[in-house]
Amino acid sequence: MIATSTRSKRRLLGLSASAAALTLLASACGGTGGGASSGGGSAAPSSFSFLSATENTVDRAVLTSLSKNECATENKALPLSVQTQPQANLNEKVQLLAGQNALPVTFHEDTPTTVVQLAQSGKVENLEPLLQKLGVEDQLLPSAVSTVKELYNGQLDALPAEYNIEGIFYNKQIFAAHGLSVPSTWDELVADAAKLQTAGVQPFSASGQQGWPITRLIGDYIFRDLGPNAMKDVADGKAKLTDPAYVAAAQKVADLGKAGYFGKGVGSIDYNTALNTFLTGKAAMLYMGSWALSNIGDPKQDSVGAANIGFMPFPAVAGGQGSIDQYPSNIGLGIVVSSQYANNTEVDDWLSCVAKNYGTDSLKGQSTISGFKVNTPVPAANAVTTQVQTTMSTATSSVLWFEALFNAQATTTSQQDAAPLVSGSMSAQQFMSAVQNALTSGS
Amino acid sequence: MHRVLGDRRAIAILLGPALLVYSLIMLVPMFWSVGYSFTKGNTIEGFTWHGFGNFSHLWSDPNAHQALWFTLKYAVVVTVGQVAVGYLLALLYVFFLRRASALIRTLVFFPMVLPTVAVGLLFKALFQIAPQYGPINQLLVDVGLHPIDWFSSTGTAFIVLVIMDVWRSMGFYAVLLYAGLVDVPDDILESARLDGASGLRLVRHIVLPLSFPVLMSSLIFSINGTLKVFDSILPLTNGGPGNSTTPLTVLMFNTAFDYGDYGYGSAIALLLTVVCLLVTLVVFRVSRRDLTKG
Amino acid sequence: MSTGTPTRTYAPARARRRLGLGRLTVRVLLTVLILIEVLPMIWMFLTSLKSNSDYLNNSSWSLPSHWLWSNYSTAWTTGNIGLYVRNSALAVFPSLLLLLLLGTAAGFALQIMVWKGRNFTLLIFLAGLMVPVQMILLPLFTIYTQAGISGTLWPLILTYTGANLPLTVFMMSTFYRAVPREMFEAATLDGAGILRSFWSISVPMVRNAILTVGLVEFFFIWNDLLVALTFTNNQNLSTIQVGLLNFTGQFGSTQYGPLFAAICINVFGTLLIYLFLNQKIMKGLTGGAVKG
Repeated sequence: MIATSTRSKRRLLGLSASAAALTLLASACGGTGGGASSGGGSAAPSSFSFLSATENTVDRAVLTSLSKNECATENKALPLSVQTQPQANLNEKVQLLAGQNALPVTFHEDTPTTVVQLAQSGKVENLEPLLQKLGVEDQLLPSAVSTVKELYNGQLDALPAEYNIEGIFYNKQIFAAHGLSVPSTWDELVADAAKLQTAGVQPFSASGQQGWPITRLIGDYIFRDLGPNAMKDVADGKAKLTDPAYVAAAQKVADLGKAGYFGKGVGSIDYNTALNTFLTGKAAMLYMGSWALSNIGDPKQDSVGAANIGFMPFPAVAGGQGSIDQYPSNIGLGIVVSSQYANNTEVDDWLSCVAKNYGTDSLKGQSTISGFKVNTPVPAANAVTTQVQTTMSTATSSVLWFEALFNAQATTTSQQDAAPLVSGSMSAQQFMSAVQNALTSGS
Repeated sequence: MHRVLGDRRAIAILLGPALLVYSLIMLVPMFWSVGYSFTKGNTIEGFTWHGFGNFSHLWSDPNAHQALWFTLKYAVVVTVGQVAVGYLLALLYVFFLRRASALIRTLVFFPMVLPTVAVGLLFKALFQIAPQYGPINQLLVDVGLHPIDWFSSTGTAFIVLVIMDVWRSMGFYAVLLYAGLVDVPDDILESARLDGASGLRLVRHIVLPLSFPVLMSSLIFSINGTLKVFDSILPLTNGGPGNSTTPLTVLMFNTAFDYGDYGYGSAIALLLTVVCLLVTLVVFRVSRRDLTKG
Repeated sequence: MSTGTPTRTYAPARARRRLGLGRLTVRVLLTVLILIEVLPMIWMFLTSLKSNSDYLNNSSWSLPSHWLWSNYSTAWTTGNIGLYVRNSALAVFPSLLLLLLLGTAAGFALQIMVWKGRNFTLLIFLAGLMVPVQMILLPLFTIYTQAGISGTLWPLILTYTGANLPLTVFMMSTFYRAVPREMFEAATLDGAGILRSFWSISVPMVRNAILTVGLVEFFFIWNDLLVALTFTNNQNLSTIQVGLLNFTGQFGSTQYGPLFAAICINVFGTLLIYLFLNQKIMKGLTGGAVKG
């Protein structure tokens, strides 16, 4: 090593060193998203970010409309920014973000147990005290508040951006053409479906890719058959999904699939395709929540016409302990607020503006009923909306849905296995024991 | 006379950065991950000691068994498919196309460089049944057969996966193996031919043994990739129907990030690592004596 | 050639290397092969020009009734493809640069330099070849979050570099095996330091090898899904693969034309890069980096 050209040597050294330094550098720079402490801190967000489930178009449309109108001032101070994530991976995404301290200001979450967990570790804000502080707690419908609390372990962990009942939308024209009347029991429903099928009309449209439109049927059958506490019993360990009465419910739904009532390739039908099939008159019935009113009211999507669509409650089960007027109800996906940004003035301004105006905007712009008060009367867009609204206001009691009290693993298993159940590659017994296993082994 | 080549400072400068990055990104996390596999929890809730709980769960968990079985089945079938079709293509290039093969090689290689997700979405559309028949089902209907709901049963979904992955990578293996076949000396072939060997016999007794080493390295290369399959599955079947096309990689991802169980996820990752090591060792063992012969 | 990379690309002309299959059979085989490769792409391209009703109501083999080129602009603007390509590039090229720099230096140190423990060190790197990324994912997740670099592209760059180092080091040291050590001894005695010899003598010699390794690694990293899916916590950071995966949703999945247009943009974009680099790829692969 004599008389080396020091300059080129230094350059070389510099190169290797800079490579190593990059690693160190990496840990020093960046960090725009993370770093904020969790637990009621008031970090300043750069936007009023909202992570929306892709399939749920209503909530982000309402927020966007608010940002342009009633909440324009708040939007100027802290602009709304919406990102979307397919619902099938939503829970995963939220967990990934939470793990990186990178939760957006507000987000959808479809698994209540995850929200409860996040709330316990101080990542998700309990909204009751916050809304009280802001003086807008009276903007929430008491019934919606109690539904939220039922889901989230007694806490108000989400805003009831929607307040839905679920049931079966049906095509009045198809029903009339085949001389069918609205079924009031499960057996009548099955008989109607059989008639439609022989007449060459697809009875049900359902998304097997999402899974939940199918498992909802199982859940509802269980509520009708075993009474409104049936799923709570499973959650509390008092009953098992593998008990014969529960398996029977899965069997009923599997039978629908076996008879081909869901049409071809139900496992690869996604949410929008299922909706589209019904709204273009290619299927007679669609099990869906009242949020679909926004699609039904939109002539661009709905070629059948809102006037030709009716709504019926999930039918009763003969001899069952539940009754037909116990409506499955939910708050949609619920908008959850991150603790790390709550109590920030700009975020709070947004939240109180949302609380005051969401109800009206949602009904006016999206024909969807929310869990917020409607402060300015809005005339109903169409007959079916009126029908749903009347049903909601007269309903005396409600039930949750199949996965409402499940952990993430059981939720995923149930929704994943829904398609195999109705396509016959999984028996009712196998389906229920797979979900029960996930329920037992998941945290 | 290795004084200058033994300069410690130079070695440190050359090797240091690579070793540092490798240690920080691979080695440390590897052991860390083994540590995780004895815990339960995640970064949100914190971790609690779980002893061998995750491993006994692994032992009894039907989902894990399913995933392990699928991983092995997939790895074996796709590896054999990729290498076998690749080999046939290579034979085609060398013996029939000769100089004209460059264009074909380029064409057949192309799918390999495409984003896997794009290929997955393409195949999903090719084989779809609803809302509209994809080209494959349309073809079946046009020739008077029944359309098949490919993604509704394990068997057919598996077939589509295999077709896709072989389609995607056969060109790559064809080129690798082609390189080996080109090296087979002409005079050996000529003399074999003079001895009366031809056709399949020529391939079996002369070409195959001579190209054995490159065949083996292709095999190792392929099986290492197929055992870790992840990005082919997600866009095409997302692990379904049910969980029947869920390999260990996807199960690990879901367990950790969907179910929030890092401990069990790490245990699954460890199982996958052990499987990779074992399979590689076995293939290596089998090939070794012939490799040294070659 | 003494560069360590065999440069032979095409089979030398070999007269009468026939296995006894008829000319016709070969023709048929070839036609089938070309159809298998080309038809899916043509179908995809045609479908990308269809309108929704065209797609839903006509046979999937039919030609588009109108050629709806606007699907492409929809895909480009609504689909954010430009952004995804940019993110992929921003993650891939720095990793590639780091990888090649570190890998070449390490390959040199492990193969040319003579020291105790180099075989063991090489073995440690080789062990990394078999370890799946899943094995390091969770700790890295924790590390990046603690270090406060999540929410940037750094986690991708670092993970790509670390996880692909074993293959790079392995391949580079294989290439260096063909380079005679004496060359450096002589050069060093001539007055150049060994580090200088590495940079000015060895690197140009393995230039082709670096290119080959670079190409192989490029496609590996460019096509990664797992790492990108885990560490991109913001849609504005999505790479092509992640972006495409969430695409179906972005278009509400009833807009089939733009979805296929988006796939086409990726496929034909890659095709362009590929045709441009094809010679190098083929040369590199047949050169025997992975021949064992």
